[in-house]
Amino acid sequence: MGGDKIKKDRRQKREDYRAAMRQEGISELPRKKFYRQRAHANPFSDHQLIYPPHPDQMDWSSLYPDYVIDEPHHQESPPSSEVPPDNSELAPLKPKRISKDVEVADIGCGFGGLLVALAPTMPDKLILGLEIRVSVTQFVEDRIKALRAQNQDARLYRNVGVLRANTMKFLPNFFRKGQLTKVFICFPDPHFKARKHKQRIVSTTLNSEYAYVLRPGGIVYTITDVLDLHEWIVQHFDAHPSFERIGEEEQEADPCVGIMRTETEEGKKVERHKGQKYVALYRRLEDPAW
Amino acid sequence: MILPFHLVKVCGDIVFAAQGCDIHSFSSSLRHISTWKYPALKADESNGASKETQDSPAPEEPPAKRRRVEPGAGSETVTNGEEAASENGRPKSKKAAQYDVPANERPFVQGLYATTDGRHLIAITGSDKTIWVFEHDGAGNLKQLSQRAMPKRPCSLTLTRDNRTILSADKFGDVYALPLLPSTTATPSSAPATQPPSRSSTPSTPASAPFKPQATELTVHTKRNLKALENQKISLDRKARQEQASQRPQFEHTLLLGHVSMLTAICVGTAPARTTSGDAAAGQEREQEGSPKVREYIITADRDEHIRVSRSMPQAHVIEGFCLGHEDFVSRLCVAPGGREELLISGGGDDYLFVWDWVRGQLLGKAGVLEHVKGVAGEEGATKVAVTRVFPCRWEGGVGVFVVVERVPALFRYELLKDNTLQHRETIPIPGNPLDVDALGTSGISPRLLVAAYPSTSSEGSSSPSLIALDKEEAGWRQTPVEDLSAGGGYNIGEIELQKILYSTESLRKLSDFD
Ligand SMILES: C[S@@+](CC[C@H](N)C(=O)[O-])C[C@H]1O[C@@H](n2cnc3c(N)ncnc32)[C@H](O)[C@@H]1O
Repeated sequence: MGGDKIKKDRRQKREDYRAAMRQEGISELPRKKFYRQRAHANPFSDHQLIYPPHPDQMDWSSLYPDYVIDEPHHQESPPSSEVPPDNSELAPLKPKRISKDVEVADIGCGFGGLLVALAPTMPDKLILGLEIRVSVTQFVEDRIKALRAQNQDARLYRNVGVLRANTMKFLPNFFRKGQLTKVFICFPDPHFKARKHKQRIVSTTLNSEYAYVLRPGGIVYTITDVLDLHEWIVQHFDAHPSFERIGEEEQEADPCVGIMRTETEEGKKVERHKGQKYVALYRRLEDPAW
Repeated sequence: MILPFHLVKVCGDIVFAAQGCDIHSFSSSLRHISTWKYPALKADESNGASKETQDSPAPEEPPAKRRRVEPGAGSETVTNGEEAASENGRPKSKKAAQYDVPANERPFVQGLYATTDGRHLIAITGSDKTIWVFEHDGAGNLKQLSQRAMPKRPCSLTLTRDNRTILSADKFGDVYALPLLPSTTATPSSAPATQPPSRSSTPSTPASAPFKPQATELTVHTKRNLKALENQKISLDRKARQEQASQRPQFEHTLLLGHVSMLTAICVGTAPARTTSGDAAAGQEREQEGSPKVREYIITADRDEHIRVSRSMPQAHVIEGFCLGHEDFVSRLCVAPGGREELLISGGGDDYLFVWDWVRGQLLGKAGVLEHVKGVAGEEGATKVAVTRVFPCRWEGGVGVFVVVERVPALFRYELLKDNTLQHRETIPIPGNPLDVDALGTSGISPRLLVAAYPSTSSEGSSSPSLIALDKEEAGWRQTPVEDLSAGGGYNIGEIELQKILYSTESLRKLSDFD
């Protein structure tokens, strides 16, 4: 009974804290302990996910308000539009448009260390973190909000956002074919048991989806501290005809690799324990003639 | 109770219909020809000391009694011997044991497919995840050629255009390619990727080798990972044993593509080859002499509203696009016939059917379903629909599309117009709830329809026929019941249990959708 009460108090505290953080104009960085959540969310179950039926129906304006295009009148739909313009019944939602597309995605972004470190290094690109755990996503949201407020004058962090999503199922709901130039998969959950390998975020069949959202020439960045998982990742991308491994020299010259090693939360943990980090980069190839 | 016919497939001018675990054949004039029975069940009935009966869960029982083991219980001996045996360790009445077989573990025929020449019939049985290929002599007699148990339960399958490869879409979201006729020379290999051109197959993963923990305390650092490593070590022994038990299938099968979501439908479509800058390379890939330059695609649908278009082999790893717009599960796909192959029609848990230009991933239009269901069930009687069949055929010089909605006693006829809109034409009342529909090509302007239906019971207790032929005549639809096969016999299954098997589509809906 007493334990229950303590639990309840703690939950209440957490909720109060998070509610306070959601208020406008808060520039204090959120504290992780109020956002902890069970380590794993089952990627196979339904959850209560929100996602657009089609990328054209995704409303990006609340994530990247600085990039919203003011459209006094209903302008002509872009040529990429999937719906004939005269058939209004088929386009139930016409979200506010933004001036550029998300180009960089961090799959399973966790607490957002990579996003926040990348944002200032590529100010002209929109970066999106995708995370399946609700409160972890909320933490990143609050973190971005606070950073934007703290850097009001320099207008930093306007190009980074986060979404709750199960990337194993819904990537094509958010991104069109060839929309992305960089996909980060940093310290993914290892799922050691063979029975759980189907839950791994890298697999031959999922790699086809990464290839779909990446444009030719785009890069998948992977890093893990688990040798077995690294070998799994390498084996599965090597075996996939849409990807080719990027050589060590080019890899080490890529500034994103350094950031990935040192700025992710997991990367920092491994650093503290003086552990190994295994990196592999893959380039999206052109599709073969057909 | 007497089981209804629940699947119907036309093969040349022969009609095959599945009833429980059996497949019956009928002539075009609907006379019964022959019956294929699920083998284990036959063994039970023949009372012989076959392998199956020896393995049966209750060897201490007198054979005389086992003669009347119901098909459901028979399936136990095939698929679930181990569990059943432990159950039988406890004293239990025979009757109870029969009822104990969970509905979803009966090896009901779950899908029937035919090659275009009608020379082969393919069946899926559910609980044992098995794909059966039969040779059909063209006269209604089947010869079983192969029986292949898949790693996961196949939900839907289709054949490539050359009719040589089965594409099986399963509950775990994967699509496997299997040769229709397994080559006799092929030595069973556990590595599915045998043909070099198809690199899209699974590379052999650690799962196929005895798994050793490769991470050590030195390489695993976070608390979470350390804990996982510990668990992994503990479960290693058990896992090794498990893995030996659940070995990969010992026949040629290639993983082509996968969704992380239950697959519900698969079909192939063809489109003219694109003339791109890569034409030089295209020339190298030996174009067959004289064959028209068309490309084949694999179209897959899942429970999470996706319709995916992938290239066919050997480039099945390339996703060409998606047809996105459904807001509930997709359960049925069909490519339009009659030279309209660029059109795809899909249906599922939404109130509409969708018409797509699948090559471009463009939604062309929608056609209401719920509004017409309301016409049958009443305004209050229907609030949502689960489309279970979207069956296209040549109809009165155009393209007809017949639609079945779960638990609705009608067949809905649509017409695919020249401008690609799908127009509801009529609602045909059926005495029971249709479960499947196919068409027998005749010389007439519209084919004869065959409908398998879940019979309704009248107040006097008589049942409506379960297999019905429908002919469109000037005066309207003439319905001819197909001879009753009481030979199919009594079946020890409750009404509720049976309905759970035969009306399974609505269960694809996500719970969160209900509120
Ligand atoms: C070990 S953490 C790594 C976090 C971060 N990338 C880092 O390096 O610090 C893996 C994260 O992936 C998330 N994740 C796992 N499966 C996911 C999925 N299907 N979709 C989105 N996120 C997922 C988990 O919730 C978890 O936060």
